[in-house]
Amino acid sequence: MKAIRGTIALLLGSALLTACGSDGGGGTSGAGKTLDVLIGANTIYPEQQRRWFDDVSAKFKQETGATVRFETFATPNDELTRIQTSVLSGQGPDVYALGTTFTPTAYATKAFVELGADDWTRLGGRDKFLPSTLGISGPDESHEVGVPFTSRPFVMAYNKDLLAKAGIDKPADSWDGLRDQAKKLTSAGVYGLAVAYADSFDPWKFIWAMSVQAGNPLVEGGRARLDDPTTATAYRTYLGWLATDEVVDPAAVGWKNAQAIAAFGAGEAAFLPMVSATSKVTLDKSSVAGRYGYAIMPTIPPGATALPAGGTGAASILSGDNLVVAAYSKDKDLALALVKMLTDADAQRAYYQTFGELPTNTALAKQLQADPALAAMVESSSKAVGTPFTGAWSQIQLALVNVVVQSVPALSAGRIDGARLDSLVKEAQSTAQGALDKAK
Amino acid sequence: MSRARRVAERQRPLWMLAPGGLLLVLVVGFPLVVAGQISLLDLDQYTFRQWLDAPFVGLDNYVEAVRDSSLPHAVWVSTTYAVVVTLITLPVGVAAALAAHDRFTGRGLVRSVLLIPYVLPAFVVGTVWRIILQPDGVADNALGRAGLDAGLWLNGPRSFWALVIVQAWTAWPLLYLLALAGLQTVDPEVHEAAALDGAGWWVKLRRLIFPYLRGPIALGLVITFLHSVNNFTLPFVLFGVPSPRDVEVLPVLTYVESFQNFRFGLSAAMAVFSLGVVAVPLLAYLRAVRLT
Repeated sequence: MKAIRGTIALLLGSALLTACGSDGGGGTSGAGKTLDVLIGANTIYPEQQRRWFDDVSAKFKQETGATVRFETFATPNDELTRIQTSVLSGQGPDVYALGTTFTPTAYATKAFVELGADDWTRLGGRDKFLPSTLGISGPDESHEVGVPFTSRPFVMAYNKDLLAKAGIDKPADSWDGLRDQAKKLTSAGVYGLAVAYADSFDPWKFIWAMSVQAGNPLVEGGRARLDDPTTATAYRTYLGWLATDEVVDPAAVGWKNAQAIAAFGAGEAAFLPMVSATSKVTLDKSSVAGRYGYAIMPTIPPGATALPAGGTGAASILSGDNLVVAAYSKDKDLALALVKMLTDADAQRAYYQTFGELPTNTALAKQLQADPALAAMVESSSKAVGTPFTGAWSQIQLALVNVVVQSVPALSAGRIDGARLDSLVKEAQSTAQGALDKAK
Repeated sequence: MSRARRVAERQRPLWMLAPGGLLLVLVVGFPLVVAGQISLLDLDQYTFRQWLDAPFVGLDNYVEAVRDSSLPHAVWVSTTYAVVVTLITLPVGVAAALAAHDRFTGRGLVRSVLLIPYVLPAFVVGTVWRIILQPDGVADNALGRAGLDAGLWLNGPRSFWALVIVQAWTAWPLLYLLALAGLQTVDPEVHEAAALDGAGWWVKLRRLIFPYLRGPIALGLVITFLHSVNNFTLPFVLFGVPSPRDVEVLPVLTYVESFQNFRFGLSAAMAVFSLGVVAVPLLAYLRAVRLT
């Protein structure tokens, strides 16, 4: 057994050693060194992203003498594969930009540097960052791996013309209110809401938000709480929009997020909940350009007219990117210097101006607050709440979406199958609890 | 066995197989051993950093896969859909081969066009069919105009048939290609002799042509079945994850366990099961062509 293990380790190690690697040996002076950074490919602004890579590298070279080599990944799975091979071989990117909801999983691998007090000081102090953006950096303040880099809070787009025509002055702040407004706005060829029921991610964000607002964070002290009545209510509300309230286009059972944006862009829906600022690029080229606005999504849970005791008025999941430094990196000091540079006000301003993603830097965020076009995003960002920090979150997320996927056949027939929904939620609860029980 | 033959066998230069054999061990044997090893470990997001030290759990992953996961359901869905696809492609492929075999104007063009579904990347096929089959899409509109019930194709019971239709659409040209190759091995004199004897077309087909086609068609059926069972891209692109229950096929389930749930050990156990599923028809085929 031992011999087999040894051989496998040797073969795998030698194969991977030749596959990837970063240069340099250690110390703080960066002259002649290269830092590798892995970041998600920006499909909306590919040209600008390439220029941004060059600018960052040039500036970092000026500051430290080291060059930065950027690599991109297309999907979270791509990124995971890169992390797996790098972690196994102990070589690869020094710095990764991770999605916020993926940070707990990355933390669970123990492959990234936990930031001590000294490290935070070198990054410019924790105060440099908006407190709300630090909500998903680690399980607690003394075990943080993620440095907030950008913020992409979720908001709701609304069609100003349609609302004005119906005599609605602003979007409701409760889900029940929104449903009533949507009913009023639904008429021939136009629906109140555009919702992507077939998206692989959107559904869980709705269910999570409505549950959290009702006081159920879905995971509490290692226990899954998907069997709580608040979650069942969330599913019934979310599915009910199409099945019983009839405020969503029946074709939405097959929609991904992009199709919901397209429907709203064609003027066929009054509200488009669960979109980030990146939707602006598409909408500004659509028929509703100049005639739509953004508002925060309702923060009062279904069945209530005010936030109940114990409820959290979450306007969005804490969304965006965190920067993490690989534990195997031979140039940790240099990596931290780069993270500092990227989270300083200057770099954050350049990033915001290029890609439209909100800064995590407190000073800059304060300046942007004054811009009325950004009001909804800034407000949502400040009211964003981190999803549960557990390595099991990916599994729980999938279990939450699965309930919606398996409910679609009934939904398409215009009904909610109560008994089936209950059994699906029960199944999701057991999957979630099973995943939490395996957490180490 | 004669003494001379035994000597000849002893003197065969078997060492010349060494380079190929070594490659086979590296490319096929090594990953297989690693997959087997992983399937015995409790390997997940918490342990993969030092994966060789992940807790050894014996056959626990196999037990969990059979008892507590969707594996049995996925094996059932995968094999039934693959069998149905294989059965559909057989008559379509053979009919197309018979039609494209005889000489006629534009035969080259027709032969090329028939191959289009087969040469398109699965990702493109999946994306195009997803657009066709989405609610209120091309398929629903066409059916509606014909007075038939339009409905949900990408979820619910019909999704199984959507998967069968699309996979059959992309898979039948292989049968056509192999049947056509088989037809070309038929000796022209056989046709002449049959014509002289006054054989009708059906007798000719059944008694003379089909025996030539048996080998290539058997191979085509096995490959079609294996391709269908192992197809990950098409169901993944058509239905996304999590899969609707009616199309929860084995490769997608294995993928989800690995890359969404990070249960690498469990996923490896599932992969070993898939190997069993594909080994059955493969062994049957090898036996049939006496290569065992």
